[in-house]
Amino acid sequence: MFRGSAVMKRLLQAKQILSPERNFHSASVGTKYTSDYKKYLKLPNGEIGSYFHDVPLNLNESEGTVQMVTEVTRWSNAKFEISKEDKYNPIVQDVKNGQVRFVKNLFPFKGYIHNYGAIPQTWEDSTEFSKINGTESLKGDNDPLDCCEIGSELMETGQISTVKVLGSLALIDDGELDWKVIVINVNDTLAPKLNNIRDVDIYFPGLLDSTRTWFRNYKIPDGKPANEFAFDGQYKDKDETIEIIKECYESWKRLESGMVKTQDTPLLDRAGSGVSIEHEEKEPARIPSSIDKWYYL
Amino acid sequence: MVYSTRQIGAKHTLEYKCYLEEDGKPISPFHDIPLYADEEKQILNMVVEIPRWTNAKLEISKEEKMNPIIQDTKKGKLRYVRNCFPHHGYIHNYGAFPQTWEDPNHSHPETKAVGDDDPVDVLEIGETIAYTGQVKQVKVLGIMALLDEGETDWKVIAIDINDPLAPKLNDVEDVEKYFPGLLRATNEWFRIYKIPDGKPENQFAFSGEAKNKKYAMEIIRETHESWKQLISGKAVDNKGISLANTTLGDEFSIKDVAEIPSAAPKEDAPIDKSVDKWFFISGSA
Repeated sequence: MFRGSAVMKRLLQAKQILSPERNFHSASVGTKYTSDYKKYLKLPNGEIGSYFHDVPLNLNESEGTVQMVTEVTRWSNAKFEISKEDKYNPIVQDVKNGQVRFVKNLFPFKGYIHNYGAIPQTWEDSTEFSKINGTESLKGDNDPLDCCEIGSELMETGQISTVKVLGSLALIDDGELDWKVIVINVNDTLAPKLNNIRDVDIYFPGLLDSTRTWFRNYKIPDGKPANEFAFDGQYKDKDETIEIIKECYESWKRLESGMVKTQDTPLLDRAGSGVSIEHEEKEPARIPSSIDKWYYL
Repeated sequence: MVYSTRQIGAKHTLEYKCYLEEDGKPISPFHDIPLYADEEKQILNMVVEIPRWTNAKLEISKEEKMNPIIQDTKKGKLRYVRNCFPHHGYIHNYGAFPQTWEDPNHSHPETKAVGDDDPVDVLEIGETIAYTGQVKQVKVLGIMALLDEGETDWKVIAIDINDPLAPKLNDVEDVEKYFPGLLRATNEWFRIYKIPDGKPENQFAFSGEAKNKKYAMEIIRETHESWKQLISGKAVDNKGISLANTTLGDEFSIKDVAEIPSAAPKEDAPIDKSVDKWFFISGSA
């Protein structure tokens, strides 16, 4: 009871302080493209917050919009993601076998083909079977919902944007459910014309097929098998996707309340105790030239 | 031969010039670099103008003395190619063969179109991203005949001899074997790349088919002959091309290179955000 009301109070506070997205900043430490790099969310009052927990979802059902945290800029390769293991969930570059991770260029694509990121305050529950029709045999991947922004501008790592939800693809990655929500920045000139998944095929012909191909194959150059999809790779429409987002918001609330315990529960530290971090301006490390290779399947 | 670059100004500005040097002395990438690096082994020199996955339309200036690489302009504005989905910028390391010229006074018997007045274009398909002004030794694999606004504009497909796959690639069919889809993507790219600027789709001669290495080497030989006509002053009309050089010892050779500016490189200028847009062209694939 006490805990619940404390959470409510904090959420309300967060909503008041954090709603206008322009108020967010970031503070980076370490050298980009190395494992010591961390990009933290910085709140208007200067303290450090969590990209996972402190950026409000801001679901607006009538507009079909949510907030998005950009992790990876379109056409780039470094796999940046919101950390679950680091306190305050900064954005870090994923590390595999001691090396920072870059996705391979899969011909005819260059790097990621979307501005790729996460929907804050959502969680794909890894402890319970999915309640979504057709995916009941699967558990979530223990991450916030992923999203693919298709607008014409490049988005920066750590950028927070209001985006319009258009549909989603149910990727099954190593046996875990890993939804990819298709969105467009509300400020994009085409956003008013895009209202559901069919509109994407009209205004971005070929993009949905390419998106499916990209997610199916992107780990093959690393020696992994092709990924699979639920629903035979069919896209879910906007309304179903909003339901999925609501479901994952409920899961996040359970996670955030401390009710969920797993071996690798994401860290829940949030703003509120006034921690600040000094931004370091450092020259990024050189991206290895092996990343320039194009893989033909 | 040690080639290097001499940069003036910042990339993506009107001031930018990239001169080539041989052992520190300015040379013309059009006239001074020999076409054949090793004629017997059929290894050619290629001058890289545009690195793969970039958009700035950089090219050897025909008119400027010593033919530096500059960014093409249109109506006084810097020119960038648009991103046509699913491609990002140029999809090859793009450049030219030195000592070749597609003679605009001559119509090719098979394409039935006159040359585009440029050195022959090269599409280098190796895995490494090249840099502007780089001189690469390449192996020729095939050729496509783009008809760009009514002119023949040969595109030679080649690979850097130092690429790990180069030993396995000997002719045009090997390209499809080791780079499946690349010839088709190349065809599509050149057909559609001007559509976002309001121009019609380009056409290819030979129904878009890539001709083999033998055919390509013959076209290169012919265009090398055209260049020889040009540099000897025998071309019907040289279209105001600067023939200045520093190594050929002919009437256009210059000894005093003091007027070629000294190196003054600057950091790349930012590219306008409008260049980031991806154009989706219906029915292109």
